[in-house]
Amino acid sequence: MNKVCVIGVGHTDFNSMTPDMEWKEFMYEACQKAYVDAGIDPRKDVDSFITCAEDYYEGFGIFDEFVPDQIGATLRPCGTVCGDGIHGLGNAFMQIKTGLMDIVAIEAHSKVSDLLTFGDVVLFAFDPVFERPISGPVERPNFAGSPSYTKKAPKPLIGSSKETERIHPYFLAGLEMQHYLRKTGTTEEQCAKVVVKNKKNAFRNPYADYEARIRVEDVMESEYMFKPVKSLDIAPTVDGAVCIVLASHKKAKELGVDPIYLSGFGYCSETPWLSTRGMDAGYAKVAAKMAYKMAGIKKPRKEIDIVEVDDKFSYKELQHLESLGLARSGEAAELLEEGELDVKGSLPTNTSGGLLGVGNCLEATGLQKSLEIVTQLRGHAGKRQVPDCEVGLAQSWRGIPTGTGAVAIFTREGR
Amino acid sequence: MTFLEKQSDPTSFMHWRGDMQADYLYTNGVAGNRFFAHLKKKDTFLASRCPQCKKVFMPPRMFCEDCFCDIPDKAWIEVPARGTVRVWTVATINAHGKKLKEPKVIALIDIDKTDSAMLGIIKTKNPDKDLFGQKVKAVLRPKKKREGTLKDILYFE
Ligand SMILES: [Zn+2]
Repeated sequence: MNKVCVIGVGHTDFNSMTPDMEWKEFMYEACQKAYVDAGIDPRKDVDSFITCAEDYYEGFGIFDEFVPDQIGATLRPCGTVCGDGIHGLGNAFMQIKTGLMDIVAIEAHSKVSDLLTFGDVVLFAFDPVFERPISGPVERPNFAGSPSYTKKAPKPLIGSSKETERIHPYFLAGLEMQHYLRKTGTTEEQCAKVVVKNKKNAFRNPYADYEARIRVEDVMESEYMFKPVKSLDIAPTVDGAVCIVLASHKKAKELGVDPIYLSGFGYCSETPWLSTRGMDAGYAKVAAKMAYKMAGIKKPRKEIDIVEVDDKFSYKELQHLESLGLARSGEAAELLEEGELDVKGSLPTNTSGGLLGVGNCLEATGLQKSLEIVTQLRGHAGKRQVPDCEVGLAQSWRGIPTGTGAVAIFTREGR
Repeated sequence: MTFLEKQSDPTSFMHWRGDMQADYLYTNGVAGNRFFAHLKKKDTFLASRCPQCKKVFMPPRMFCEDCFCDIPDKAWIEVPARGTVRVWTVATINAHGKKLKEPKVIALIDIDKTDSAMLGIIKTKNPDKDLFGQKVKAVLRPKKKREGTLKDILYFE
């Protein structure tokens, strides 16, 4: 079967906001850089284009219609995956494996600073009948003028009807973190050390936006928002776009590029019902199993040299490492304290700074993590370079309130 | 910049401001209608039990997500409107990222006689109290005032 290679990567700078650039210009920048990196002309050489986006994050209906021009895809096969960047990579991987496409470009981005009501949009992803009303007043007056509805917002049954009394959806992270700490014996201090490490790593990543020199005490003294989640345990949102170009091995050779291989991927979703869903990142476990099998990985802890895992909340880094089979339950915090997760440790984790250091880039998370792994495997990571890395793992989670995750395995040698 | 606080108000730059008129009517579905019709009259919850794996769903469902089979009418059961706190959190931040007027305690409550949990607001005078394993019961609106929505469950205590 065709081996699948990464032949180009491109990205914008990541910033807490990007008021100087429109989202299209922003996507154009990432794609143009990736095409130059691959040495290709998208108007001639790319067979298929994939973006990863979610309409409500973007602020558009049918966002895919707005995609082709800024990625070089007008009148070409182009589609949007409503999911994380690694879901897009997986789709491209399959297109190349079939032999139908030789070169596929995948783009994902976050222009979250355009979204003024992020918390409300996330609440919109909760079950409207059984879960969303928990957050507080969610009803609005009916503007559509349907006669069966009043012009005024219905009065709440309890508490205030003020929008300001609607609870932020991140309360779910508070529930899950409490479960994780109790189950594994991990402490809040240990989670705080994840924040310290990742923000420190971000200093050596030129595109990261949330690098900082902080102490464990700074995290511990930051305000409880959703106890035990404190304000510094949360990855702040960021704008950024990433494009990755994949090609068949044959095509990569023709182009004369030195490729990194995409040797496996996996993805899965848990039930959306909070009433029956697990709290142990089962989505990461299943996705990893699929990816390991595809890449022929039998002992992940021994065979994988570098990992980028989703750290939208500090505890998530530790929880995900355990779900991925890279640490036993409760062991991730020990590895962290022993320095094994540092750039110089035996399991370098989130050397890019992770989402705590780079910023939470929503559906671009998986591509940002893939970008770091590819950069490291290419040996282009500068001062944060992990020596002798051959096999790397990128993992993403679609964030609150989802139970969806994806895993990609990149290797120096083809498998 | 290496500051923890960053400028994040894009409205201070030139822009076009828009919003979405996105109002919906969400149907409760067959199972949801039965659940809420029951809740309007009774002080208990309605649940449904999978005939194959015996898992009890609350809120009730018409099919089992594990076995992918129908759950027949005769497999519906009444369960008490109470349960045990599995995890809880104190939320202090509103959907806009600002402080709530008062902290709110939210818990995931394992509902008695089911294999399901439910989100609930916990009414408590002491939000810092460890609620793990605490038995709580749902406080419902007075029967006459119930409207057949989740809001008929006022809180747990
Ligand atoms: Zn079943």
